[in-house]
Amino acid sequence: MIRYVARRLLLAVPTLFGIAVIVFLLLHLAPGTPGAGGADSVRRVSGKAAEEMRRLYGLDRPLPEQFAKWIGRVARLDLGESFVDHRPVGERIREALPNTLALNGLALLFALAFAIPLGVVAGGHPEGAFDRASGAALFALYSLPTFWAALLLQTLFCVQLRWLPLFGTASDAAPAGLAGLGDRLAHLALPVTCLTYGTLAFVARLVRSGVAEARSSDYVLAARARGASRNGALWRHAFPNALLPVITLAGLLLPALLSGSVIVERIFAWPGLGRLYFDSILARDYPVILALSLLSAVATLAATLAADIAVAAVDPRVRDGAAG
Amino acid sequence: MKRGFAALVLGLVGAAGCRARSEAPAVPAAPAPARTPTAIAAPQLGFLDESRQGTPVDGGVLRRRLTGEPTTLNGVLQSSLPEAQVLQYVQRNLFDFDGNLRLVPGLAEGMETSADGLAYTIALRADAAWEDGKPVTARDAVFTIRKIVDPKVPAQVFKPLFEELVSVEALDERRFSLRFSKPYAFRPMAFVFPVLPAHRFEGQNFLKAKDNRAPLSDGPYRFVAWKAQETIELERNPKYAGPPGHFDRIQFRIVPDNATAYRMLLDDALDEDELDAGLKQKAAADPAFAACCRLVEFYNLDYNYIVLNNRSPLFGDARVRRAMTMLLDRAAIVRGLYRGSARIISGPWAPDSPAYDAQVEPLPFDPAAAARLLDEAGWKAPAPGAPREKDGRRFEFELLVSVGSDVGRQIDEMLSSELARVGVTARVRTLEWAAFVEKVDAGAFEAASLAWSAVDPNPDPYFYWHSSQCAPNGINDGCYASPEADRLMTEARQELDPQRRLAKLRGLHRYFRDEAPAIFVVNAARKYAFRKRVRGLATSPLGLYGIWPGPLGWWASPEAAQ
Repeated sequence: MIRYVARRLLLAVPTLFGIAVIVFLLLHLAPGTPGAGGADSVRRVSGKAAEEMRRLYGLDRPLPEQFAKWIGRVARLDLGESFVDHRPVGERIREALPNTLALNGLALLFALAFAIPLGVVAGGHPEGAFDRASGAALFALYSLPTFWAALLLQTLFCVQLRWLPLFGTASDAAPAGLAGLGDRLAHLALPVTCLTYGTLAFVARLVRSGVAEARSSDYVLAARARGASRNGALWRHAFPNALLPVITLAGLLLPALLSGSVIVERIFAWPGLGRLYFDSILARDYPVILALSLLSAVATLAATLAADIAVAAVDPRVRDGAAG
Repeated sequence: MKRGFAALVLGLVGAAGCRARSEAPAVPAAPAPARTPTAIAAPQLGFLDESRQGTPVDGGVLRRRLTGEPTTLNGVLQSSLPEAQVLQYVQRNLFDFDGNLRLVPGLAEGMETSADGLAYTIALRADAAWEDGKPVTARDAVFTIRKIVDPKVPAQVFKPLFEELVSVEALDERRFSLRFSKPYAFRPMAFVFPVLPAHRFEGQNFLKAKDNRAPLSDGPYRFVAWKAQETIELERNPKYAGPPGHFDRIQFRIVPDNATAYRMLLDDALDEDELDAGLKQKAAADPAFAACCRLVEFYNLDYNYIVLNNRSPLFGDARVRRAMTMLLDRAAIVRGLYRGSARIISGPWAPDSPAYDAQVEPLPFDPAAAARLLDEAGWKAPAPGAPREKDGRRFEFELLVSVGSDVGRQIDEMLSSELARVGVTARVRTLEWAAFVEKVDAGAFEAASLAWSAVDPNPDPYFYWHSSQCAPNGINDGCYASPEADRLMTEARQELDPQRRLAKLRGLHRYFRDEAPAIFVVNAARKYAFRKRVRGLATSPLGLYGIWPGPLGWWASPEAAQ
C-alpha cells in the first residue's frame, strides 16, 4: 500500500510538469496580452505603450526562458506577483480561498448527504413510485440552469419573503467569530443551494443505478437467503458495492472545491476564487492564471489519488492487485 | 454593462481654461442639440443640477456600487473607473473639471503659463495637508510627475500627457514648474491628476508599496478598509481643510452583476447604480422601483463608432467609406435600440462637446445613393444581385465587436444586413476583450465597433486621426491619413486663441463628415438609478462622477420616503 502511494506520488511530478507546460503554452498562444487593461479601463494605450508594458513584465523574452524562470520560482513555492496589482499571487489566492472552500465544501457535503439516501432508496425499488418521482424531479433539477435558479431563489427568499440576504459573505453589522456564524450561514444558504442541486441530482442517479444493479446480484440474493432483512441487504451489501463509482466520482468532484464557480460567485457577489480566476483571465494576468491552473491540477491529482486509495481501502480486489 | 474602448484623454482645457490667463473659458455651455434626420422628438433628457436645491444635511452613509475591484488605489497607477471613483474622495487632483467642463483649482490654487506656452508654474494651496499632519508640498508633486514619466512605472493613464515633458522642478515648498518641448493648446488638461505623498514611498518598491492598497488622504475622506472583492470603506477626513463632505462614511460595494446590483438598490443595500438598457426598461415599469428610486438619464461625451481600416484595399477610398455610413440606418438604431434616448452624430465628437458643430448635418441613410458611390469607386456587381467586386476581389470583410458590447453587436448586425442588400458581405465577429484589443491595436482588422468614452473634455482629435499616430505607434486604429485633416489637427492643437481653434476644429468636423474615416453612430444617454434620499446630484457631459464636486456634493435627505 505504501509503495503504491509512493509510486503514485512520484508519477504525479511529471504529470504536473506536463500540465504546467501545456497551461503556459496555451496562455501565451491565446490572443491578447497583459497591459491592455480590462474592459473597464478608462483610457487606451497605444501599441507602443503596450509594448513597453510587455518589456516591463519580461514578456518580450523567449518563451522557454519565461517558462524556466516561472517554473523555477514555482519549485521554490513562489507563485510570483500579479501583473495587475503587483501583490504576491499567494496572497490574492489566500484571500479568496476560504470563501470558495466554505461555499463549495458545504455544497459537496450536502450533495453527497442527500444524494446517497435518495439514490439507495430509489435503487431499492427500481421503477417503483419513489424511483419514478425522484427520477423525474432529479432530471428536472439537473437541467435547471444555475443562473436562472439563482435569480428565482433571490426573488423568492430575498426580495419577496425577505428571509435571506441577497449577496455577500456577511452583513456589515454582523459580529465576528461564533456570534456571527448564523449570519454567515444565512449568506451561504442560497449560493450553496445553487451549487448543490446539480451535483446532487447527478450523484443520486449514479447511486441509484449502482444499487439497482447490485440489488439483483447473487451476493445480495445470498444475503437475503441467509435471513438479512430487505433494508439490511440493501445498505450492508448492495450499497457498499454501489459506492465504488461514487468514490471515484467524488475524487473528480473534489477539485471543484478549489476552482470556484464564476456564475454563482458573480450573482451573489461572493469574493471567491472563481471571480479571481475569471478577472485574471480577462486581464491576462498570467501569474495568477498559472497559479490557479496549477492549484486546480494539484487538487485534481490529489483527489484522484485519494479516491484511488479510498477505493483500494474499500475494495480488497483493488488493494490486493495494487499491492502485488 | 456598456463596455468600450476608452479614449485617451490628453490635454487640458486649453490655455483658455487656465486661470493665469484671464480669458473666457474655451468651453461654453452645451450647444443646441444637433439637428438630425430622425423624426423622433428629443427625449426629455438633459442636465440635472440640484446643487443649489434644498439645504444639505450632513451625516449617514452613502453606499455606492463598483462594477469591479480596483486593482490599486495608487493615483498614478490607476487605470479603471472603479479606481477613479474611490480616489476622487481620498486624494485631490491638482485641478478638476467642473460641471461646465471648466478647469477649476483643486490641490493647486493657480497656474501661470510662460509667454512661449512651454513652461507652467503651479502653486499648491497653503492649507493642503496629508492626514498624518504633514503638508502637501511641491516635492510631493515633483515626485508624482517623475513617477508618471518613469519607464518602469506603468502609469498608463497619465504617461501620454507627459510625453513632451522636459523637466519638472520644485521652486519652493509650495511652487513647482514644468517645462515641455512643444506648446500644446490643451496642455493644462494634463494637470488633472492626484499628488502622492513622497514620504510614504521612500525606500519602498513603488509598485508594491503599502499605500497602493491604503492610500494616505489629502482629500475630504480617508481610507478605512478594503475587503477584497467585497467592500471599500471611507470616512470623513478631519484633517481636510476644504469644505467637508456631507456623508459621514462612503461605502463602495463591489458588485459585478448588473441584475444583483439592481436588486440591491431596491433592497436598500445600494444608493446608486448605473443601469444598462434592459434594466432601465425594467425599472421604468417596476412599481417597486418607482416607490424607492429615481432614474437619472442624461447625455455625456461618449459615442460609438465603427472604425474602417484605411490600410485595407476596401476602405482607402472616401466614397466607399461614405457609402458605409449611408448604409447604416442610424435613425432606426435610435428608435429601436435606444428607444429614443440617443442622438445621431456627424463627426468625431458628441453633440455636447464644444468642438461639435451642430450645423453639420449627418449623412442621410440612403442605400440607393450609397450603391451609386460604390459603383463610382469601381466596386460593381457583375450581375444584378451578385456580390460586388473590383479587380477580381470581392467586397467582403470582417466586422469585429468585443464581447459584452450587446448594442455594438446589434448595430453591426444591422449594418451587415443592409450591406448584404447592396452586394457587400460583412461578417460580424465577436471577440473576447483582450483578443479584440490586440487586433485593433495592431491594426490587424478591416472594421471594428468601438466606443469612445471621454474622461475629459479635450476635443483634440490628433491622437485618433492624425497620420503620425497610426497603430501600433499611436491609437489612430484605422490608420486614417489625410494631409488636409493632418493640417487642420496640427494647427488646432497649436492655436492658442480659443475662437480660432474652435473654427479649425469645426472645419475638421465638416471635413470628417464627408471623408467618413469611420462610421460615427450615436451618442447614447447614460442611465443611472438613485435611491430617492440622495440629493444634490449634478450631471455633466463628463458624467456624474468625473467632475468636481460631483459625488462630493451629494447628501442624504432624512425625510425622503424610503
